[in-house]
Amino acid sequence: MNNKKFYGLTALFNTPNEIIKAAKKLSSEGYTKFDVHTPYPLHGMDDAMRLKPSKLGYITLFFGLSGAALALLFMYWTMSIDYPMVIGGKPFFALPAFIPIAFEVTVLLATLSTVIGMLTFFFNFPNNNHPLIGTDYLRSVSVDKFGIAIESDDEKFNNTAVRAMFGSLGAVKVEEIYYPDTETFPLFQKKFIFLLLTFAVITSGTTYFVLNKLMFMQPFSWMMLQDKLIPQEKSEFFADGFGMRVPVEGTIARGHKPYEFKGEVNPSSFLINPIVPSKESMMLGKKKFLTFCSPCHGNFADGDSRLRGQFPNPPTLHTKRVRDMVDGQIFHIITNGQNIMASYASQTSVEERWAIVNYVRALERAKNATQSDLDEIKKESAANGK
Amino acid sequence: MASKVLEYQKKSLPQSMNKLGWILLVVGAIAGAAAFYLDTTRALYNYLIVYMFIMSIAVGSLFLIALEYVAGADWSVPLRRLVEFFAALIPVMFILVIPLLLNIHTLFHWSHAEAVSTDAILQGKSAYLNSTFFIIRVFGILIVWTLFYLLFTRNSMKQDITKDQKLTKHNILFSAIFIPVFAITITISSIDWMMSLEPHWFSTIFGVYYFSGTFLAALAALTLAVIFLNEKGVFGKLLIPDHLYSLGALQFVFINFWGYIAFSQYLLIWYADLPEETVWFLHRWEGGWVIVSILLIFVHFVVPYAVLLSQPAKMDPKRLKFASIWILFAHLLDLYWLIMPNMSSGKEGSVPFGWIELVFPVALVGLIIVVFTMRAKNKNIIPIGDPKIERGLDFHL
Amino acid sequence: MNIDYTIEAPVVEGRLTIGEIEQLVAAPMETKPDKKFYIALSISGSFLLFGAVLLALSFYKGIGLWGNNQPVGWGFPIVNFVFWVGIGHAGTLISAVLFLLRQKWRTGIARFAEAMTIFAVICAGIFPIIHTGRPWLAGYLFPYTSQHGLWVNFSSPLVWDVFAVSTYLTVSFVFWYIGLIPDFAVMRDRTSTKIKKTIYSTFSLGWRHSHRNWQHYEKAYMLLAGFATPLVLSVHTIVSFDFAVSILPGWHSTIFPPYFVAGAIFSGFAMVVTVLVFVRKIFDLEHIITLNHLEKMNKVILATGMMVGYAYGMEFFIAWYSGVEVEQFVFVNRAFGPFAWAYWIMVSCNVLIPQLFWFKKIRRSVPVMLIIVIFVNVGMWFERFVITVTSLHRDFLPSSWGYFTPTIYDIGILLGSFGLFFTLVILFTKALPVVSISEVKAVAEGAQPSHGGTH
Repeated sequence: MNNKKFYGLTALFNTPNEIIKAAKKLSSEGYTKFDVHTPYPLHGMDDAMRLKPSKLGYITLFFGLSGAALALLFMYWTMSIDYPMVIGGKPFFALPAFIPIAFEVTVLLATLSTVIGMLTFFFNFPNNNHPLIGTDYLRSVSVDKFGIAIESDDEKFNNTAVRAMFGSLGAVKVEEIYYPDTETFPLFQKKFIFLLLTFAVITSGTTYFVLNKLMFMQPFSWMMLQDKLIPQEKSEFFADGFGMRVPVEGTIARGHKPYEFKGEVNPSSFLINPIVPSKESMMLGKKKFLTFCSPCHGNFADGDSRLRGQFPNPPTLHTKRVRDMVDGQIFHIITNGQNIMASYASQTSVEERWAIVNYVRALERAKNATQSDLDEIKKESAANGK
Repeated sequence: MASKVLEYQKKSLPQSMNKLGWILLVVGAIAGAAAFYLDTTRALYNYLIVYMFIMSIAVGSLFLIALEYVAGADWSVPLRRLVEFFAALIPVMFILVIPLLLNIHTLFHWSHAEAVSTDAILQGKSAYLNSTFFIIRVFGILIVWTLFYLLFTRNSMKQDITKDQKLTKHNILFSAIFIPVFAITITISSIDWMMSLEPHWFSTIFGVYYFSGTFLAALAALTLAVIFLNEKGVFGKLLIPDHLYSLGALQFVFINFWGYIAFSQYLLIWYADLPEETVWFLHRWEGGWVIVSILLIFVHFVVPYAVLLSQPAKMDPKRLKFASIWILFAHLLDLYWLIMPNMSSGKEGSVPFGWIELVFPVALVGLIIVVFTMRAKNKNIIPIGDPKIERGLDFHL
Repeated sequence: MNIDYTIEAPVVEGRLTIGEIEQLVAAPMETKPDKKFYIALSISGSFLLFGAVLLALSFYKGIGLWGNNQPVGWGFPIVNFVFWVGIGHAGTLISAVLFLLRQKWRTGIARFAEAMTIFAVICAGIFPIIHTGRPWLAGYLFPYTSQHGLWVNFSSPLVWDVFAVSTYLTVSFVFWYIGLIPDFAVMRDRTSTKIKKTIYSTFSLGWRHSHRNWQHYEKAYMLLAGFATPLVLSVHTIVSFDFAVSILPGWHSTIFPPYFVAGAIFSGFAMVVTVLVFVRKIFDLEHIITLNHLEKMNKVILATGMMVGYAYGMEFFIAWYSGVEVEQFVFVNRAFGPFAWAYWIMVSCNVLIPQLFWFKKIRRSVPVMLIIVIFVNVGMWFERFVITVTSLHRDFLPSSWGYFTPTIYDIGILLGSFGLFFTLVILFTKALPVVSISEVKAVAEGAQPSHGGTH
């Protein structure tokens, strides 16, 4: 006998009926650390071994439900909060359209968790070092025999008694199983360190190549690289090396009238509001105001920027200083810019700028209404019969 | 191995069942007649719901029989007789259909010549949707169903005595023929009786949708009958939990199937958003109908799904009984949801619900019980002559 | 032939013992491949190479080489994609649905069908990736925090496809692998060469045939089957949504989901029969993959063929019934327009020819069934062709009507996908047990304890 650690006793049987009988006997005698090994699952063995129903379903249920919830939450967040987009005239949270993906994610999570949970948590796999692996016992079970194994740490284990019981049950072969010798793996071996280094070099090299070279390769970029000059590109054709040409001195765009007060401080006395407020011009002013001015000045010119502090908040336009400005000065500020406010001359036409001025005036009056204004409104609504 | 068929003893159904059936039927019928007198249109629509429900149970049962033969299933053999008793409703439908046909103009907009003459779409359909062809179809289909019903049951009953295996072979052949016939007839019936209530609307999946409910209802009726009669000891100790498990699992599958078909139909119409299609769902989203529609999702899918999800639940007679009754109710609600919004006399979006809606189902339950018990009288409750009966009784998962 | 209905027909024929079953199944892996194997491999490999070259050219020159153009912008790639996904449905259906239905005959064919599923889905997955002509940008299909701050459109059926097909591939693979674990253990215990032993040991994870494991294993198999069944339906349903959520006449039809699923089962079973007919002959598995198996599959083909026929009929009838002019036009155009030839190929191969399976003699005759199932494969490819092309080639604007002509590149890539599929199948037959050893053992005669003995 050797001094390996004793694992347990195994017995082989020829027929399924015998093994069921044996399992029943063992469980009724109170053995707990025994196991039956069969080439395929046998009907009725669960009862014979007195096994509790598998609890695997709970893992599936938990992860399945989390899959559905996570998928729906994620789609809700991306499609309705982070980047809302109208798609096909549907609401941002278009539940019917989210169900397919929610279902797929449920299935994916549930199945993967079931399998991984079973293999690792329930089976303790991978476990190629189990004492039974590689034994003649398991080889026979693998083909067509039916085996039963009792571990020696079972409280009721007694070598002779178990042997006798196996004999009485009709076992064809009884075998003793020992734990395999545990090999210690030398960590600092030359070979191992060499292997480790090789891996490190290959991994870092590949990573470098992928991140810095491969990611920037254009496999076939014929549409991108055409025989033409891209704006700002260098050109050998011209003596100065610029691909773009400067227009002839004094060229102006068609319809463009240079702003004559550019850079001046307050040329308002030369700028007279040419527009008589009408409904059309007020609506134009409102539209342009909301487009260009409101992002910083706020929808009602209160200085409550809509940019959530990404840009310094400008002052409200309802201060006395602004209200006392003449139209021309506001026009000038829009055209020329002021402090960190840029010029809006290229985005808006002269007419639109005056319309904005009129609209700002209307906003100012509305926000600072006097009693006489209110009376006027009352009078008007009374005249309209409201 | 001892033969389990020998353990079978012929027992009659409990007397109280028949009595209860008659009481429900008579009370329901009288109240129904009163309803007809008071509000013909509304009563008629309710009657149509009940008629479609009976069609579901009757023809669904016939389909169950055929499916068993074709699939070669053995677990369901001991239960087949009950299915045959349910299928006995088919001949009764000849009588039941008459009030509907007499009032065809109240039900169907397309049956009015003057309505068709001003409606280009209805004119296009008039080759199919006209009263004469409609009646021909209705009776033609009923005759075909009755024919198959007689063939199946006659062979099955004869086998009790002769134990002739040839009869099984014949029934398999009839079943194979019946299944495509069933697919076509059930589709036509669903289009005729329900889709054409809203004659402009169309959906290619509608026949499959009705089929999914039909199958589920027939299955639930069978399960209920099995559990009830087993409790009363009619089966003795012949049935084991594995039989129930099979029924429960099938129910679960078809709950999913219904959900799948219903969702497919809804999603495609909702996504494409074509006015000629969405109008049907809009009618079911107006006023109080929105509650019924949402309720339907829960009643027909979510609740039975949750009830039958776990493995033990599919074997537990109590749970299964609850699920079966629930599913039968769900199917009734489904039909109510399909048919009622088309009632033209009602206000837009108002959900008609009152005593009239309650008395018809009472009569329905009564009728089913009465037909079942009358048919089951003096008959073997299991097909003792079937060659597969032994395998069906000695069935283990 | 008279059948005795009182007894169950044995699943494994020839009264094989459990050991003999194992010997039969393991034989191909333990013998050196013969000449026939290399001939078959080189044929399928040449197809694969041909397709790969044409595909490389398509990438290099651009997908203008294909027949896709206005108005038929969706040509062969989507047709092939749907075709292969459809083929990929049979495997999971056999292993999952038939498992839930306790059909014991599935054991003999499940492993092979599952493998075919995985290979078919791989073939299918190629087409959505290549059809843009820039497959290296396919990563954009996955939702990740990109520099654009933008997400994929979760309301788009094309994104549903990405989720459905990748989930399906993963789950099918897991399902397949779970089934293989006990067989890896069997092979581990059979083999004596060191390399093979290491490989088998690694993949068997240390399986010991323990009943304490079997119990959970069976439960897991059941749960997986329960999930795979709706999954398999969902995949082709979602593929059908690609078409049906649009408002194009001929595509927008509510019956599309079940119709596509039935078609997928139909074509998948046809492909499984096509391949199994050869496999059972070549590897002497006629006792395990019996004529009864083939007959049952032919019955399924007949049934699903009629379901497909039902859907064709319903579409036609409702197109007429709907009263929508364009809808009616599309269907008349399908049957009698320029693509009528394709339509009638589809109808005759899918609906008419399978009707021959009503006859038992034909269901059980191997050469005849082989011809029929090949027709079915052709017909199902044409079904997708008809749906895609006929609806597109004549749309609402008559001035833009056109005709679709595939180029050699289209056809070559299609042939290449067949090459890939069969190459994988051929390699599989030699590398892994083509029949589930443990499952077939479990249904052999006398393999289970008798109830009389234990009760």
